[in-house]
Amino acid sequence: MKDHDFDGDKVLAKDFLENFTDANDRSKYLEILQEVSNRKIRAIQVDLDDLLNYNDDIGELAGRVTANTRRYVSIFSAAIDELLPEPTEAFPDDDHDILMTQRAEDVNDNADVPDPHQQIPSEVKRFYEVYFKAASKVKTSTIREVKASHIGQLVKISGIVTRCSDVKPLMAVAVYTCEDCGHEIYQEVTSRVFMPLFKCPSSRCRLNSKAGNPILQLRASKFLKFQEAKMQELAEHVPKGHIPRSMTVHLRGELTRKVSPGDVVEFSGIFLPIPYTGFKALRAGLVADTYLEATSVTHFKKKYEEYEFQKDEEEQIARLAEDGDIYNKLSRSLAPEIYGHEDIKKALLLLLVGAPHRQLKDGMKIRGDVHICLMGDPGVAKSQLLKHIINVAPRGVYTTGKGSSGVGLTAAVMRDQVTNEMVLEGGALVLADMGICAIDEFDKMDESDRTAIHEVMEQQTVSIAKAGITTSLNARTAVLAAANPAWGRYDLRRTPAENINLPPALLSRFDLLWLILDRADMDSDLELAKHVLHVHQTEESPALGFEPLEPNILRAYISAARRSSPFVPVELEEYIATAYSSIRQEEAKSNTPHSYTTVRTLLSILRISAALARLRFSESVAQSDVDEALRLMQMSKISLYADDRQKAGLDAISDTYSIIRDEAARSNKTHVSYANALNWISRKGYSEAQLKECLEEYAALNVWQIDPNTFDIRFI
Amino acid sequence: MGGPAYDCLTNPLGAVRFSFVNALSSGYDPASSVGKDWGVLDLFRHYFSDESAISQVPILDSSSINWVQPNTLVRFRGMIQDMLGNEFYAGAYKDGSTWRTNKYCDVSQFPEGSSTEMQVWERRLLYCIPVPGQNQWTECPSQELKNRFLDLTGQNREKRVRVDEEMTDSLESSTLEAGINGSPFKKMKVGEATSSASESQVPQISGIPPATSTDALTCLVKIYDSPESELKLNDVVEFLGVLTFDPIAMMDTDSLDVISDDLSEAESVQMPSRKVPRLHCLVHRKLETQHFLHGSSLLPEPKSPQIFKEIRESLMKYLSGLLGNDHIAAQFLLLHLLSKVHGRVDNVAVGKLSLNLIHLNKESMSVFGTRLGDALKSLLPFTQSIPLTIEYLNTASLGPKKDYGLNRLMPGVLQIADGTHLILDETELQAGTLNSVGVENANLLKNLLECQKVEYDFQYYKMEMATDVQMLIFSEGKSNIMPADLVLPFQPSQVNQLEVITPETAEAWRCYLATCKSLSHSIGQELQQVVEKDLVAARQTDRSLGSQDLSRLLTMARMISVSYGETTLSLEHWQMVLELERLRKERLK
Repeated sequence: MKDHDFDGDKVLAKDFLENFTDANDRSKYLEILQEVSNRKIRAIQVDLDDLLNYNDDIGELAGRVTANTRRYVSIFSAAIDELLPEPTEAFPDDDHDILMTQRAEDVNDNADVPDPHQQIPSEVKRFYEVYFKAASKVKTSTIREVKASHIGQLVKISGIVTRCSDVKPLMAVAVYTCEDCGHEIYQEVTSRVFMPLFKCPSSRCRLNSKAGNPILQLRASKFLKFQEAKMQELAEHVPKGHIPRSMTVHLRGELTRKVSPGDVVEFSGIFLPIPYTGFKALRAGLVADTYLEATSVTHFKKKYEEYEFQKDEEEQIARLAEDGDIYNKLSRSLAPEIYGHEDIKKALLLLLVGAPHRQLKDGMKIRGDVHICLMGDPGVAKSQLLKHIINVAPRGVYTTGKGSSGVGLTAAVMRDQVTNEMVLEGGALVLADMGICAIDEFDKMDESDRTAIHEVMEQQTVSIAKAGITTSLNARTAVLAAANPAWGRYDLRRTPAENINLPPALLSRFDLLWLILDRADMDSDLELAKHVLHVHQTEESPALGFEPLEPNILRAYISAARRSSPFVPVELEEYIATAYSSIRQEEAKSNTPHSYTTVRTLLSILRISAALARLRFSESVAQSDVDEALRLMQMSKISLYADDRQKAGLDAISDTYSIIRDEAARSNKTHVSYANALNWISRKGYSEAQLKECLEEYAALNVWQIDPNTFDIRFI
Repeated sequence: MGGPAYDCLTNPLGAVRFSFVNALSSGYDPASSVGKDWGVLDLFRHYFSDESAISQVPILDSSSINWVQPNTLVRFRGMIQDMLGNEFYAGAYKDGSTWRTNKYCDVSQFPEGSSTEMQVWERRLLYCIPVPGQNQWTECPSQELKNRFLDLTGQNREKRVRVDEEMTDSLESSTLEAGINGSPFKKMKVGEATSSASESQVPQISGIPPATSTDALTCLVKIYDSPESELKLNDVVEFLGVLTFDPIAMMDTDSLDVISDDLSEAESVQMPSRKVPRLHCLVHRKLETQHFLHGSSLLPEPKSPQIFKEIRESLMKYLSGLLGNDHIAAQFLLLHLLSKVHGRVDNVAVGKLSLNLIHLNKESMSVFGTRLGDALKSLLPFTQSIPLTIEYLNTASLGPKKDYGLNRLMPGVLQIADGTHLILDETELQAGTLNSVGVENANLLKNLLECQKVEYDFQYYKMEMATDVQMLIFSEGKSNIMPADLVLPFQPSQVNQLEVITPETAEAWRCYLATCKSLSHSIGQELQQVVEKDLVAARQTDRSLGSQDLSRLLTMARMISVSYGETTLSLEHWQMVLELERLRKERLK
């Protein structure tokens, strides 16, 4: 079983390299070989996927390659040696080539008795390197999962690079010339140390019974670029209560300088033990250090646009999209452990989805990112919501207003320690480009720092003019801020403007400003008491009543949704315009407005509607989207409105009635559907229960008739 | 061979090899087994199935290291401080035509080169340190054990040599020969074996990592055949296994590998085995408080509430005496001492109860604080205290941090075992500026108080480790840096004479605390309704009550119940909770 037919495998490898054609019917490897022989590239990457696809015979070969990779690197190299075509382009001879020609002549000259040390090892002649890339179907393992049984095999491991050494030359073949006989002597170096030759092994020296005097020729020897790196398990792969493990990775030749500390990467490589040398070897090889000889490096991308779906994710998304009610389902799955706050979660979902960026013909850009500010009493789980959103988003940065100066948020000019040059370092907002930046304790930020955010929120760039560097960095990020009201708690005796305590310039940039007040309410108190009791009794959260979606499904769905860019159909323009103007008017009437309605508000309505349309994978915005957007904007201040009404002296029922009457009159209809009515009144801050009460009361007064099944309203 | 062919205590490796030979004859194939256990574990588990057999095994500490023989069985009690990952070793190899094993060894019994076939197996490395803040009473009296052990080895010496000759080469037996009188450890440790009692007291306040402090014995434990999930970081574990040392490294640790470059880290270089002994673990078990109690085990289950009541009363008397006859403070202190994280739901650690005693100044602190500290030391297995001064916060390294240069986790003060009691003394805090380290440290402490979690810094990311620490805070006013669950103004009426407690009483109190902590607890259907109603009513009257406060009331209810040895909440105890809370509120006004 051990005796594989390696020569046979070489033939197979040759056949594969010659005859393999990819999906476009091109001989992939022959093209690569031609490039190699033209000295354009040095790396030949053999994809095991190709090997598996080639044909079944060779499929088994792929298995053997995985299990005994090192050996097959040399087999493939030997096959390539035989296959390498003549260069088609002229290239200037370098030292190495001249040396090679010389050597070829030498060999003919002194046709001595073949002597292992005198034969030119094929390694010297090669000017390419063969790398295997593990098949994409193979599961990526964590460092923890690599066991003793994997030694010698090709494995795929993901991790974060923690340290990198400098790139150093590594001797692959040592070449000596003998002072006495003038022969060139070759010594292949396979381990990290080697014993230099002191005796000339050539037959001439042996005949003359001389020791000879081999001198190491650095210029003639072959060196490889060599870099050592350390990688460590990713935080999410470490089981609870354990410490991340790390592993040494050796990078050779073309793979050097591909990684730097902090990169999240996936390595394919051969898991090998390091033979101990010298003093350590005395320990009888009892313990061995191991390392990964990298054969390919893949960097992980963390942007929505580059998100690649896992095998079954596409299917799941399709199923979800068909299911309907996706809006509720997705929003509930955000921070499922936080009780209630359904509408806030909906808004946060829309922040994740965002609207498409628009670039007008004249070069003006309109941002698509939805900015949201959560403002509320302490202890309403604002920070937890923020942190959860950051976890769901593929790219998110969490920072606190206090903990970051303006420089820390935008960008800083630093002097490089080594080169003494000025360099730009991006702050949190720049790092969150194409992602989400969550800023907690927004109100506690210094005024000067806050102004830095103005530009980011509307223009989506960070401009720097410091120390001779003037530039503008992209910061296309959605800002999610959390703040406390001016006096820690919301003071109902003061005006909203006083409570909110953020300058209008900043406030208007938020698409939604959500006020979360902690109000005395028997029901919610009981709910809280029950929850706490349950937690103490069973030491687990109460059942959610639904199955929350996994974060990765959520992420996949959102990235799928972000691919569509819906537009607003002409029919809806009128509708949106009326809605906008009515909000403006209402604000003008009130002497203590709750919001600053500007043109930006109109854009916000459009953005939120577009995000809603994206969730349906739709290419156009529907009226229901706009309605929902308006409702969300209204709901964001719900806790204030209920209070207002009471002050105005109108009871809830009659106010509900007047809302429905006004809206019906405006659209000139006598028939109002229940859903519409509910939508209207909830925008004004009333509950469904109040609507029902109103319907019954006025039906009794014969103002309208109620359809007993659908609850639709018909005015008399 | 008549009688047992091996002695598990003094020649465990002989036993390992003997069973290996047995296993081979019954079809065990080293080539395909990946080092799976072949019956050694059962053998040793059976041998050490009862407590008395375990107590025969000497405990490895800084004094016993001087007389314990290498390649014998020892116990080590410690906390897992770092996990060094897997080590690959030549587990089995063919010597001629028979398989030999290297399991549970550092060094091969046979010279190299003789082997043609070799199987690489793996084992896990754990770096263990004595539990931070371990108190003196938890120590086993080692002198008696030492004499017994030396007797035992003396008796068995002849026989063991005979067995060795049959089963091992001369290397081992020669070291054993030399061992009795001139143990290599002895040479190293001259002058260090002065006082064993005070040694194990880890310097309480120092921020020096335990690894470098001279008198604390750390140990590199090698784990075989146990699922990874079984042993976690910061667990307090007793390991029973073979003690080895590396003769080569012992002879010459200075000749570092010349060609080792900046990235390779050999554990033998950082941790020479003369400083850090190796322990090849055969059997391990997690330690609870009751394992530290001498002789007496836990109190009987709630069958006898009378016993609980009596001990509770005497302990309460002692505590209120310590606290200058402040009975309310004593009540709260008792509840605090019984607290323990039972579970984690979302971000809430259920069962934690940190206590902040306020209205203490430097003078009263020196009287009550130190007394209380001493008392807790004699009652609880692990105690630590942290003085909160600006200077301390700005310089100490509280959170553990990964050092990629050494590839080690540098311990911080807050890397402590579950169940440790932590005193934070804020009375010495002066106005001043915190630097970035100080802010970080303050955040760590706050996070620990609120969520019972400590952030470990891995440079590229941070990882939160769940910890279970009882925190007691002394401060003049309400501590804003350390928001404790319970804030109580301390009102002593007099300074009492220090009571002398007999060892028996102390033992009974320790036992009582350990038992109460381990009791389970539930709330009956009817009482649930009552509690629910009371909680809602409380929140209706005081809007500032959050879910944490409600949760705290329930925790207090649990503590009161278990302090009477009861596992279900009674109405009486629930009313006690409300009454205590009312008294506390009154004091706060």
